[in-house]
Formats: sequence, structure tokens, C-alpha cells
Amino acid sequence: MHEMSIAVEVCSIAQRHVPRDELENIVEVGLEVGDGSGIEPDSLEFWLESMLTHPPFKAAKPVIKRVPGDVLRVSYLEVDDGRPDD
Amino acid sequence: MAVRTIEVRERVMAKNDELAAEVRRRLAAHRVPALNLVSGPGAGKTALLERTLEALGNDLQLAVVTGDVQTQNDADRLSRYTDRLVQAVVTGGACHLDARQIHTSLDAVELDHTDLLFIENVGNLVCPASWDLGETAKVVLFAVTEGEDKPVKYPKMFREARYAVLTKVDLLPFVPFERDKAVAMARDVNPNLQFFFTSAVTQEGLDGWFTFLRELVAKAQ
Repeated sequence: MHEMSIAVEVCSIAQRHVPRDELENIVEVGLEVGDGSGIEPDSLEFWLESMLTHPPFKAAKPVIKRVPGDVLRVSYLEVDDGRPDD
Repeated sequence: MAVRTIEVRERVMAKNDELAAEVRRRLAAHRVPALNLVSGPGAGKTALLERTLEALGNDLQLAVVTGDVQTQNDADRLSRYTDRLVQAVVTGGACHLDARQIHTSLDAVELDHTDLLFIENVGNLVCPASWDLGETAKVVLFAVTEGEDKPVKYPKMFREARYAVLTKVDLLPFVPFERDKAVAMARDVNPNLQFFFTSAVTQEGLDGWFTFLRELVAKAQ
């Protein structure tokens, strides 16, 4: 049940790391979720899929990596800067 | 398209834990121990607090923050047993209290005139286990009507708790519940759990709980 609260916190972390006008350019949010973290990854993914496709985000996809232990962290953010590849 | 990767490596609970640490600092500065009472709905957290406020309220300065998804019913019940304002946190749907709510609630608690703080969490054996509120310890309650295997069904909560209260023991003659089996299952999950066996109706076992609370306050002074 608390996966919704966790998803809100993940969105807050993304907002702290990316300027507001670039939040809609986030394409991927990478997370590590420990087997002993008390978090149900499918439920967390469900909430994140919902939140990350609504403003201030647009089309970000959560990518959850399951790991041992009780770790629960955002590991990376991928941002499309809109420019063509060099 | 050019995609850049931002390394974050930030714990999701970092903000909560930061606020929990601040709560802990504020409580320590005033030498106030805090117990976070957690259980499934209906295990008897409010009833245990009613008996506690009734029995110790004249000798100790007790403060309570109580959380519920909706209604202030628990706060209203507890207010009958104390002259102090019972802080009610209505979570509006959230299944647990968080450190931010406790941090805010402390503004209204006269810590200089408090010996012991109780936090009655939202009734839920899953979610509150993941949130540090800045408490001294979690106390997990479960009732004899719930079955012996609660600790193994909800291991994170029983691992996080330092104390366990088996409630409604007055109903033991009427329900198929083996006390020793329940304790063994709990200790399988957390060998260091200290148990209390209580009934808020007959008052059985409450003396031990009250002695524990008095000692907790004395140690903090």
C-alpha cells in the first residue's frame, strides 16, 4: 500500500535533480529495490508509471532492478535533451 | 536523440530519515522517550493507551500523537483520559505516519512538560514498518484473535520492533490461540523481542507494562 508514498518520494527526488523545465524530458528513472525493503516492485512500478506520465513529467519509464538486502534508492535518471546525436 | 544519464544514488527514504533524525534530536534534548505503537487495525492500541493514561497520567506527563486514515475517533477516545491535547493526524488515505507529520506535531507538544511520548500509528502491519518517525522504539501489538502466525506473515514489522504486546489475553479461553507458539514465531523473526501479555478489559498484565514505562522514563531523566 505504501508504494504510492514511495512513488511520490521518487518523483520528489527526480525534481530535486532535474531543472523544472526539463522534467518532461526525463525518459527513464532507474531504481534499486531490495528484496527485504518491504516494497512490492510491481505495485511501485504501477504507481510510478502513472505519476511519471503526468505533469510535470511526460513520458518517463521506471526501470526497477531487484537487489538483495533492504536497499531502496533511485540510482539514475535519463534525460533526453532533444538534440540530435553528435 | 542525445540522452544524458544523471547518477543519483539517493535513498528514497533519505528525506524522511533526515526529519526523523531531527525529531530524535528534539526529543533527546528534552529527555523524552517516544514509543511508536504499531499493529493491524483493531489490535487494541487505543485501548492500551486508554488504560495507560488512566493509570499513569497522574504521575507522569504523557503526550500522545495519534494517526488515522480518517476520523479523529481515537484522539477523542484518548482525550477522555488526559487533560492534555491529543494530537490527531488524519492521513487522508495514507496508510502510515511519516516523520514530517511527527516533526510538525511536536510543535504543539510541550516537550518541557513531557516525560513520555506515545505515537499511535495507523492500523496497518505493513506500511508503518518502513517509516522511521524518530521514535525510541517501535512497539508492535497483536491480539489473540488474530492467529499465532502474524509475526511470520509480517516479518518486517516484527523485525523493526523492540517490544511486542500480545493483547486481549482475557479471550484466550475462547479462541484457538497458542501463546507459546506465537512467541516462538515472533522470536524466530526477532530473537530480541521483549514481550508483554495484556488485557485492557481485565487489566491482566498491565502492571508489567506500566513498570516498563516508568523505568523507560526514569532511564531517560
